[in-house]
Amino acid sequence: MTAVDIPRFVRADGPDKVTGSGRYAADLVLPGMLWARFRYADHPHARIVSLDTSRAERMPGVLAVLTAEDVPDVRYSAGVADRQLFARDVVRFEGEIVAAVAATTVEAADAAVAAIDVAYEPLTAVVDPEAALAPGSPLVHPDWQSYDAAPETVRDGNTASFSSISRGDAKAAMAEAHTVVSSRYVADASHAVPIEPRAIVAQWEGNRVTIHSSTQVPFDARAGVCRTLGLPTNQVRVIVPHLGGGFGGKCGFHYEAHIAALARAAKRPVKLVFSRLEEFLAPDRRREGMVVEITTGLDADGAIVARTGDLVIDNGAYIADAAFFPQIAAMHVAGPYRIPNLHIDSRLVYTNRQPSGSVRAPTAPQACWALESHTDELAGAIGMDPVEFRRRTIVTSGSVGAAGQTYDDIGLAECLESAVAQIGYEPGPGTTDHGNDEAIGVAVGWWPSFPGASGAYVRIDDDGKGQIVTGAQECGTGAVMTLRDLAAAELGLEPTDFEIVYQDTAAAPYDTGATGSQTLLNNGRAVVEASQQVAEQLKALAAERLEAAVGDIVLAGGSASVAGSPAVSVPIAELAAEAAGAELLLGHGSGTPGEYPELVGATCVGDHGVAAWASPQFSCHAVRIRLDRDTGVVRVLDVAAAHDSGTIINPMGALGQVHGGIMMGIGQALTEGTVYDDEGRQRNPMLLEYKLQTAADGPEITVEFIESGTPGQGPRGAKGLAEAPNVATAAAIANAVAKLVGRPVRQLPMTAERIWTTMQETGDEAGGDR
Amino acid sequence: MTNSISYLLTVNGVDYPVTGPNHLSLLSAVRNQVGLTGTKEGCDDCECGACMMLLDGRPVNSCSYLAAQAQGREITTVEGLAEGNELSRLQQAILDTGGVQCGFCTPGMLISAQALLDGDGDPGDEEIRIGLSGNLCRCTGYTNIVAVVRSLATSRYDAKPEGG
Repeated sequence: MTAVDIPRFVRADGPDKVTGSGRYAADLVLPGMLWARFRYADHPHARIVSLDTSRAERMPGVLAVLTAEDVPDVRYSAGVADRQLFARDVVRFEGEIVAAVAATTVEAADAAVAAIDVAYEPLTAVVDPEAALAPGSPLVHPDWQSYDAAPETVRDGNTASFSSISRGDAKAAMAEAHTVVSSRYVADASHAVPIEPRAIVAQWEGNRVTIHSSTQVPFDARAGVCRTLGLPTNQVRVIVPHLGGGFGGKCGFHYEAHIAALARAAKRPVKLVFSRLEEFLAPDRRREGMVVEITTGLDADGAIVARTGDLVIDNGAYIADAAFFPQIAAMHVAGPYRIPNLHIDSRLVYTNRQPSGSVRAPTAPQACWALESHTDELAGAIGMDPVEFRRRTIVTSGSVGAAGQTYDDIGLAECLESAVAQIGYEPGPGTTDHGNDEAIGVAVGWWPSFPGASGAYVRIDDDGKGQIVTGAQECGTGAVMTLRDLAAAELGLEPTDFEIVYQDTAAAPYDTGATGSQTLLNNGRAVVEASQQVAEQLKALAAERLEAAVGDIVLAGGSASVAGSPAVSVPIAELAAEAAGAELLLGHGSGTPGEYPELVGATCVGDHGVAAWASPQFSCHAVRIRLDRDTGVVRVLDVAAAHDSGTIINPMGALGQVHGGIMMGIGQALTEGTVYDDEGRQRNPMLLEYKLQTAADGPEITVEFIESGTPGQGPRGAKGLAEAPNVATAAAIANAVAKLVGRPVRQLPMTAERIWTTMQETGDEAGGDR
Repeated sequence: MTNSISYLLTVNGVDYPVTGPNHLSLLSAVRNQVGLTGTKEGCDDCECGACMMLLDGRPVNSCSYLAAQAQGREITTVEGLAEGNELSRLQQAILDTGGVQCGFCTPGMLISAQALLDGDGDPGDEEIRIGLSGNLCRCTGYTNIVAVVRSLATSRYDAKPEGG
């Protein structure tokens, strides 16, 4: 598929974005507006001995200085309420907020935060998640038992959340296996890195506060403000201007309450704009580091008879939204394979590092990288081509997955065949006909869809033009922009006949936000339902006007007509004008979210509901890479991707998600990794040292969508899509690297230095120079 | 306190008075004093390219360029790319081919792309990719952006905005 084959898709927000007229949160200016700055912890782990803001408060231009003493003593976060707006007594990571200042200029605010006097007693930093599990390790949260927690969150000391998935008898089956392979892989933490650093502007009018925020989840942000400041929902309004990317990094509740509290204290609007450094250090949305130990047993025919796994996930200092990570990571180590006997233990572990949270397909790229590297090791151990090995062991329509879910109509097998055909894969274990420095690697991936509550209103005004008022959040994917196409199809109008009101919690009903690839799946369903209500109203009006049965009215081409007699018609605009003086054309939709499937035979401890997958998405990525053997530098030449995300409603938008996900995956594979010092401080929190992929690094990308039938979920059988393309790329690159190097590179990112070092080890074992 | 100086900046063909300290950046002057906020700040470190403007036709990272040094020179921002109320061919084409998602890198990306298209050479794939490599985009994977610049470069003389 190339760009010219794609049907034209008109982004309603497009002209705003290419002319510079679009407003992002950092562009907003209000009369009397002050600037906010935060004072962060001076140590990753320390007790606050004294905190004195009096010098800062007396400085010119300073109108508010807040600490923990100035806000309610409330803890938040869904899985475990372990976080507060400001540090009380103890700081647990370098980006923890100790105090906040509002002043008339950025410079005055900077000077004031520097003048806040804090004395600390440093505490031993817990930096290694595996060591944090050892008996006698210092606890990041000594009072963990006193925190409120969701009943499904299984905790113990530094274990913030534990999950296990068991099915069959893995130990017994492993003992009888013909071939057993054990692997250990370590993934470094990484970052979402939206190009827009976050910004917030808060303004009070009476007892109501309006917060303009660059959040992916305005309703979640509102809930956080209400909880931490003790406000009712209807007094807090969160508006998102254009959002400059998120990738999960702007999910969750972050600084909206700090800025609202400053604005209340200063009696002036207050604005916060993050620097790139803060964007790296402070949010609780780092992609988690992970240690994966995995053992798989095969029978004499190469079928998988058992798998065991042990995962340690670096949570950082606070849980954010990561309580479900152990279970979803375990699912990715089980993988989309037929495995009768499974046991995986998975732990999310507190450390004194930046908190982890949902970044685009949380846990999946790292866990898939480990699993799919291991899968190539399995194939190698029995001398089978790795694509053939997958062909024989992946789940297909009607088969039962490792956690006991029976899959309906799924397209994984087709994805595998498509990707290897697109890239021209040639079978043979570990060999390549592409020259000694080029190889093809293949990996499969999967990701759930998340049915949930979501709402929208649709109305048609007196001139026949429509308005969609939706709670959904547009973070660039085009998902909200695509809602116009759904409404237009139901109402016989053009997408350009609709305007969209979105990203305003006071205007629209609830939506989860730009998270979990759920916008079209859930809000699409809501918009279709709301549009159908309006369609029924229009049909009733038309039936009366045309003296026909309601059931015979067809809405198409801007008119209502009688089925079979297109000449007997009335323009929708005329019906709208009639309705404007009587019963208004007004629909509201939410719809019943799709159901989650049943698991048979599995025991899930710490069950966060992410072992049974509604409308699972499948993918296969195949990559061709070239290795510079003198330096260890890898260049990705071609990527062939095949995705089953159900029906594709917006091909251009879908293609954009796959392109972007692949590019992010290449970064995760080769360059994107956070380096820490011995105390848990980031050593490369800037774009010069933390390298994103550029246009010059980009490979040729080809994409095919396998549109499997998926009834009962998204509109027209759509599944989610935005996260899935980020899952399998790093794994595919790893398998190509392993072919060229002779063994897997066991740490992510697979930097040039790590690849080169692995090459030397291989050379040493082979008995000298290559 | 730092000395403050006053001067004129010519942005998209209009002269604007600017007053600020010697170290005032071109980005800050244009966003906060001229009042054109289309150009974005993504890193303040010359790494992301969201702040790119054309200075006498050459793309610069305005976050790290002194406003005072831009006196007497033609500054073009994203707001200066359209011809009146009509989108330029580049602006329209990047929309039509899915080269815009979140839009935050777009102002800088358009500036780099325009500089490539305004150049004398006939940029091939490699040259286009290198020419855009100073602009980080996290959404699109660059694929469609490179394709649109290549397509406009091929029909170079059509690529100028259609008049009127």
